[in-house]
Amino acid sequence: MKTKFFPAALAALSATLAAGGACAQSAGSIVVYGGAVQINPRVDSGDLTAPSLASTKVDVKKASQVAGGITYYWTDNISIDLPLALPFKHDVVGAGAIEGVGKLGSVKSLPITLLAQYRFGDAGSTFRPFVGAGLTYGHFFKPRATATLSGITGGTPANPTTLSMKSRLGGTLELGGAVNLTRDWSASLSVTKTFIKTTGSLSTGQTIETTLDPVSIKFGIGYRF
Amino acid sequence: MKPSITRIATASAALLAALLVAGCGGGATADTTPQLAINSVKVFGDSIQDSGTFGYKFTVQSSDNLIYAERIAANYGQTLCNFFVFTGTTFAANTAKTGCTNYAIGGGRITYTGAGGAANPLNIGTQMATYAATGSYGNSDLVIIDGGGNDAADLVGAYLNAPKDSAQAYAALLGTLLTPAQIGAALQGGATTTGAIGATYMTALADKFAAAIKASVLDKGATHVVVMNMPDVSYTPRFQMVLDGIAAAYGGGSAGAAARAQSQALFQGWMTAFNTQLAAKFAGNDAVIVIDFYKAFQDQVATPAQFGLSNVSTPACPIKGVGSDGLPTYDFPTCTPSTAAAGWQSYAFSDSFHPTPYGHQLTQQLIAKSLATKGWL
Repeated sequence: MKTKFFPAALAALSATLAAGGACAQSAGSIVVYGGAVQINPRVDSGDLTAPSLASTKVDVKKASQVAGGITYYWTDNISIDLPLALPFKHDVVGAGAIEGVGKLGSVKSLPITLLAQYRFGDAGSTFRPFVGAGLTYGHFFKPRATATLSGITGGTPANPTTLSMKSRLGGTLELGGAVNLTRDWSASLSVTKTFIKTTGSLSTGQTIETTLDPVSIKFGIGYRF
Repeated sequence: MKPSITRIATASAALLAALLVAGCGGGATADTTPQLAINSVKVFGDSIQDSGTFGYKFTVQSSDNLIYAERIAANYGQTLCNFFVFTGTTFAANTAKTGCTNYAIGGGRITYTGAGGAANPLNIGTQMATYAATGSYGNSDLVIIDGGGNDAADLVGAYLNAPKDSAQAYAALLGTLLTPAQIGAALQGGATTTGAIGATYMTALADKFAAAIKASVLDKGATHVVVMNMPDVSYTPRFQMVLDGIAAAYGGGSAGAAARAQSQALFQGWMTAFNTQLAAKFAGNDAVIVIDFYKAFQDQVATPAQFGLSNVSTPACPIKGVGSDGLPTYDFPTCTPSTAAAGWQSYAFSDSFHPTPYGHQLTQQLIAKSLATKGWL
């Protein structure tokens, strides 16, 4: 995916175009949109460090949330997108040697992303596919462990095992399409892939390296101010 | 084209504010409520599950030496204390502390053949019957049962002593569960059948254990029962010394190593016979989890670093003397953090047969994994 998207992204960044007409997706437009997004981590878990059962892994479940964002049209074809969402709550479950134990905890995530997008077609086109590339800071917070995590790591209610996930920066690629419904209203659907790794830590001192690489599907209705 | 900067500020202010509010905070917390509410944990078994019948636990006497059954109880917010106390000659109900639900006694056996006979609570079946005579079980009771390790050690001892006593003790022990015809045929059939009858005995032992669990626990309404299978005690320091003795008796070298390996395989076969039968007896029973202690213990010995163990061959407690069997003896009451070997916290064994507190923690984690998988934790 990376190799397919990067040329387009580079093209977007190097393009220099004059401002177009006063359409929903023309230079200078600011579109604020709202909708929903589902984040589906494509987890590739490392092994929990000792002491543990060999191949103790984790999986991070998908989460959905009300979302929105702001898109600023720098030119008719190049836009800057700042998606915004309420925090997502992901369940962390056992995998590998502890497959089947169920929920180990939950962690909230707030991905802060800034994307540069290149939109095909011209400002007046009804349908405009777009590609984007940018950076995401995955902010993980409010981790909450379960009695199961304590149980399998030697903790007790008096001294429970807790977990945390390190916030990290990763690259994001986007593929989507927008439809201009009216002069000011538009609808868009996009899929983003973020390349992000995190380190999970337990209060026992154990750690687990986990590749999250989430795929997000985002739908939004936008209004041009 | 509209002016941009002011509109960016206007349009995004609210959203950014929401983001900042949502992004604050983030202390790690834990929800310590198990999926299943357990109000009482009943324990039956031998030394590894004994909370202090003799005034001490069969591990290092540290302030933080919860045994695995106590650690599991703690996962449900419960504590354990010993139901029985040793009077010096016999076992009586613990009157110093009442309401105790840990009936396990060090030296407990599925078949105890010493003084007091079947009524002695050193019979694990008698421990279970003692509670069953006074009460039943409900959905908020968790039962943890172990047994068979001492029976297996008895059988091995009697078998190894066979050349000295013409197999009298071996035949007597086999006779507690097998018929004279079975035993006679096996002992007269040569070395192979003499060894193989041990597996037949261990299968019958598992049958007896399962029947006692059914009669006194399951039939009394228990719906959450954890049954430990027999750990591979051939990897305990005590057994390793016995096996080393066998190797020496065969002159050491490759002949000794072969004899050692053959003996270990025979004893492992006996334990496996017990475990296979135990698993079969409770297969498909939704009220019972059989914990594969056998395999877990082998894994710990094979890959100690993975389990945070620094020593899986030497007991942490100091040697106190030599027993009649020529093996070192240990004394738990005087085995404390100050007398135990440096770094005892990550040793597997306290004496030559029992785990350290950390060994208990590993077993608790093993049980907790099964409990969680079952939806009980």
